[in-house]
Amino acid sequence: MKRIFPFLTPYKIAIFIALSLMLMELAVELVQPLIIAKIIDDGILQQDLSVVFRWGGVLIGCSIAAFAAGVTNSFYSSHVSQSFGFDIRKTLYDKVQAFSFTNFGRFPASSLITRLTNDVTMLQNTVFMSLRIMMRAPLLVIGSVILAFVVNARLALVLVISVPVIIFFLLFIMKKAGKLFKMVQERVDQVNKVMQENLVGIRLIKAFLRAGYEMKRFRKSSQELMEKTVKALRLVEVTMPIILLLMNASILVVLWYGSIEVTADRASVGDVVAVVNYATRMTGALSIVTMIIMVFSRAKASGNRIAEVLETPVDLVDREASDNYAIKQGSITFDDVTFSYPESDEQVIRNLSFSIKAGQRAAILGATGSGKSTLFQLIPRLYDVDKGEIRIDHQELTSFKLENLRQQIGFVPQEAMLFTGSVKENIAWGDDKASFEEIKEAAMRAQIHDTIMDLPKQYDTQLGQKGVNLSGGQKQRLSIARALVRKPKILLMDDSTSALDMKTEAKLLEQLADLSCTTVMITQKISTTMASDHILLLDEGELLAEGSHQDLLTSSTLYLKIVESQIGKEALNLVQRSN
Amino acid sequence: MFKEAIKPFQYKRRSIQEIDQLNERGRGKKKAQDFSGTLKKIWFYLSMHKLKLSLVILMVVISSSMALLGPFLVGMGIDDYIVNQDTDGLIRLLWILAIIYAVHSLAAWFQAMWMVRIAQDTVFTMRTGLFNHLHKLPIPFFDKRQHGELMSRVTNDMENVSSTLNSSVIQIVSSILTLVGTVSVMLYLSPLLTLITVLVIPAMYFGLKWITKRTGRLFKEQQRNLGELNGYIQETLSGQRIIKTFSQEKKVIAQFKERNEQLRLAGFWAQTFSGFIPKLMNFLNNLSFAVIALIGGMLVLNGEGVVTIGVMVIFVEYSRQFTRPLNDLANQFNTLLSAVAGAERVFDIMNEKEERRDEDEAIEVNSLNGQVEFSHVSFAYEKDEDTLTDISFKAEPGETVAFVGPTGAGKTTIINLLSRFYDVNDGAVKMDGKDIKTIKRSSLRSHMAFVLQDSFLFEGTIRENIRYGRLTATDEEVEKAAELANAASFIRKMPKQFDTLLQVDGQGISQGQRQLLSIARAILADPSILVLDEATSSIDTITEIKIQEALQRLMKGRTSFVIAHRLNTIQSADQILVLQHGRIIERGDHQSLIKKKGFYADLHNSQLREKMIL
Repeated sequence: MKRIFPFLTPYKIAIFIALSLMLMELAVELVQPLIIAKIIDDGILQQDLSVVFRWGGVLIGCSIAAFAAGVTNSFYSSHVSQSFGFDIRKTLYDKVQAFSFTNFGRFPASSLITRLTNDVTMLQNTVFMSLRIMMRAPLLVIGSVILAFVVNARLALVLVISVPVIIFFLLFIMKKAGKLFKMVQERVDQVNKVMQENLVGIRLIKAFLRAGYEMKRFRKSSQELMEKTVKALRLVEVTMPIILLLMNASILVVLWYGSIEVTADRASVGDVVAVVNYATRMTGALSIVTMIIMVFSRAKASGNRIAEVLETPVDLVDREASDNYAIKQGSITFDDVTFSYPESDEQVIRNLSFSIKAGQRAAILGATGSGKSTLFQLIPRLYDVDKGEIRIDHQELTSFKLENLRQQIGFVPQEAMLFTGSVKENIAWGDDKASFEEIKEAAMRAQIHDTIMDLPKQYDTQLGQKGVNLSGGQKQRLSIARALVRKPKILLMDDSTSALDMKTEAKLLEQLADLSCTTVMITQKISTTMASDHILLLDEGELLAEGSHQDLLTSSTLYLKIVESQIGKEALNLVQRSN
Repeated sequence: MFKEAIKPFQYKRRSIQEIDQLNERGRGKKKAQDFSGTLKKIWFYLSMHKLKLSLVILMVVISSSMALLGPFLVGMGIDDYIVNQDTDGLIRLLWILAIIYAVHSLAAWFQAMWMVRIAQDTVFTMRTGLFNHLHKLPIPFFDKRQHGELMSRVTNDMENVSSTLNSSVIQIVSSILTLVGTVSVMLYLSPLLTLITVLVIPAMYFGLKWITKRTGRLFKEQQRNLGELNGYIQETLSGQRIIKTFSQEKKVIAQFKERNEQLRLAGFWAQTFSGFIPKLMNFLNNLSFAVIALIGGMLVLNGEGVVTIGVMVIFVEYSRQFTRPLNDLANQFNTLLSAVAGAERVFDIMNEKEERRDEDEAIEVNSLNGQVEFSHVSFAYEKDEDTLTDISFKAEPGETVAFVGPTGAGKTTIINLLSRFYDVNDGAVKMDGKDIKTIKRSSLRSHMAFVLQDSFLFEGTIRENIRYGRLTATDEEVEKAAELANAASFIRKMPKQFDTLLQVDGQGISQGQRQLLSIARAILADPSILVLDEATSSIDTITEIKIQEALQRLMKGRTSFVIAHRLNTIQSADQILVLQHGRIIERGDHQSLIKKKGFYADLHNSQLREKMIL
């Protein structure tokens, strides 16, 4: 909770005003019985209408004041709680955006989503309630005890003894409930996760007729959520009957002890009545406490979950002495690089050394699982290497500011991920400042312009979350356009032409050749490697061979084998025939 | 300091119409506010627990009457025993009181225990109902929605319902009970004064109406904004890799802030207005008290014997009690509104039209030979475009049909129609001579297996992911399928082999390996119709050779539809259909298409030419 309270400090003044208004209301509430008593005793009983008028007027005046205070309090309380929620969400989101992928490994997306919405809402509601009613209950309890003391100290002692017992009990419940509510929130994460998976994989689920299976899975996780919620709520709900019992027991004691005191003439009957009355009032106030307990223990659990995210150190940051240079040429050097994913012992890349000259087109070829995609993630420094060095323009990667480094890199992922928005927005996503002309140019280079012009609203056509109405190849080309619009110095393409047909791919490669940037392409196609200046052949994270197509044909038997397999007999025959 | 003090009054206000407009967006033509309808639906779920619910109400009755009886007996005890110093009588009374208190606590405990269960059961039923309904919705529904927005309905909106149901039912019942009790006593004391007291109700009604007219909408706007924020978070989290490599963090943070701001605005007004309710009730309460005191006083003074002083004093006390349950009810009404706002968003989805239900005469088919025919099929995703036009072809059982054509020519769409993810606009798709509309979807799909473009993996072990193809498969069968798909070799190299856990984001497993797994999944499914959608395009050549073997074996005896880009992988196909702009422009087998010297031959030659450069 220590992480959460500071979020309230910017609203000190508003909180102060809200609390003062609440106290004002409370004061009116406390004075009311006196005014009413006055009206009854001095007015009605004395049959004096003028007193009724006068004090009736005072009562209405007070109520109007209380009403005004209450309404104004509403404004301040919602301002504080909503802005508090707003700030936490903002801070959390900023933090999450600064996360490295190692950090993401710790928090699954579904859990982060719950924390950013559901958990913040819990906290927000707690603040709102605190500012409006929560303080009332404790104040009423304390006030009642004090007044009881004033009436008769000996009798009031009974209440004083029961109060610490109740407080201790409440603290105990709160601690336990906090733990249970933490589990509840974790179950919410789980429900969220199943839901997310189902939404992402809906085609597969429908295709394989697995709706029934998924329903069972969801049923299970939502049942677990239900059980945990029931358990937590039941624990909390136990407090009310028990507090009731304790307070009622103390009333019994007051009555019994009172009768002794009255007999001994140390207390008047009126005293007993008054103390019993205060005890009843306390009971009422304490039952509100049940609700407070619930809200607070829930808020505590949510607060901790939020703090957990905020306290996670971001392990991939700019070095303090990061220089302010940008990539100028775009040469890439790997120097004895070894890398394994966090929390995994398996070295995905082992002692890898190679260099790609500025402006070259390099192709990375390798079997499934040979570490190609991993290698790509190291260049924009999504992860830090375990050993060795990566250099761009002869500068070590970590000496770049992350932003400068990535600003100059265009990345086309294997699975084209598009965002909700128009085609234009999706391309401009690569560079906010791109003019429409530049967007169009990028689209033309990426061979997607004609397709876009065929769409109903052309560049303004809206795309769904995954841009589903586009085919795989169209999505790929759109994400290529997104990378090109940045005019990057280094272009990384992770098998990004897999869904393109040969003709389109050939045209695309031709266009890329015009660009003055270093291009690195992961590929399986010999047609691509042939059009490259430099080829890296990877196997299980190690460099097997490198060189130009011609070099490799002679130096690498594996490369030769791949070439043969792709060309097939027919082509070889044709080649022979044409000779 | 002053700035901070006036901030709460600087939030932008929207008119009711504006909010309605915002809330309606993306909801279709349905009525914006259907409070009672939604409430009825919630009641429908609650009423599944009628027995328990009546037990709860019984407990509320018991605890409420004990709560009244206790103070009454205490008062009696003080008068009769303490004043008279009758110790025996007092002790007897104390015992009775102890029992009453115990019963009170027990009843309160029971009502809470049961109500928690009923409420959570209801929430559970609604939540799973929503989820199950989602699975009945057609694919186009999912194509148009943000995932995170839908997720918000399952968690955030249901949370609203949950927290309301827990407390509201008990509160409402006990408030009504107290109200009825108080009004009876008041009527008994003085019908005239009661009438005056009740006069406050219209004022309450109009006040409440004014407030709830706003809060109802505002709550809904708040939930909608929360949903949109959720959607944005989800989308940007799953696109994290791109955001990072494009270093667009600042941009998404700015966009997030906009949505966050919207949520704050809606939340602020919803909360502010809902905060008015208790204040208004309190105010009216005091007002009515003053009026009663005044009129009552005048009546007493008039001395016509209509109202005596004694009656007046008791009445004044009761009139204070009268407004308390009303106050509680008003507050509950408010929470109810927020629950309804949440529930309405849940029911919105449940009201979405299901994937068109199987036609009445739709049948189960136990086996399919695998003869597939498209006859004059036309289809468009959006109204004003043509995705497919007049597609006709026929595949005999066991044949392989390959689709070739530039990206976007409609190859994937054909597959979508074949599996009835979408329905044709014109023409018919037939299997074994039957229109597939006459076959139950589940039955149809159970005879098909897919290797789709996105080889999606679930969080779980590799074994579980392969078994997804056929849930009843034994471990041996799973491993055999992996063997056939040539996936076994890489799986065996993993630390825990088949029991290695996979993450949703697929960390630690390459794209190629994912495809191998989804091929294994299809092999395990053992279908009569096989659909391969660009399945082999990103697997390295060495593995691809092995895959080709496995696929050849698998495709034998099954009707297969293949979308592939490297022509040599489909040369052995029985039919090759060349698509362009949604039409079939060429068809035939490899040899005849080459002879034709058309689009296919061009494509083929351009590939060959590249190879010949060697």
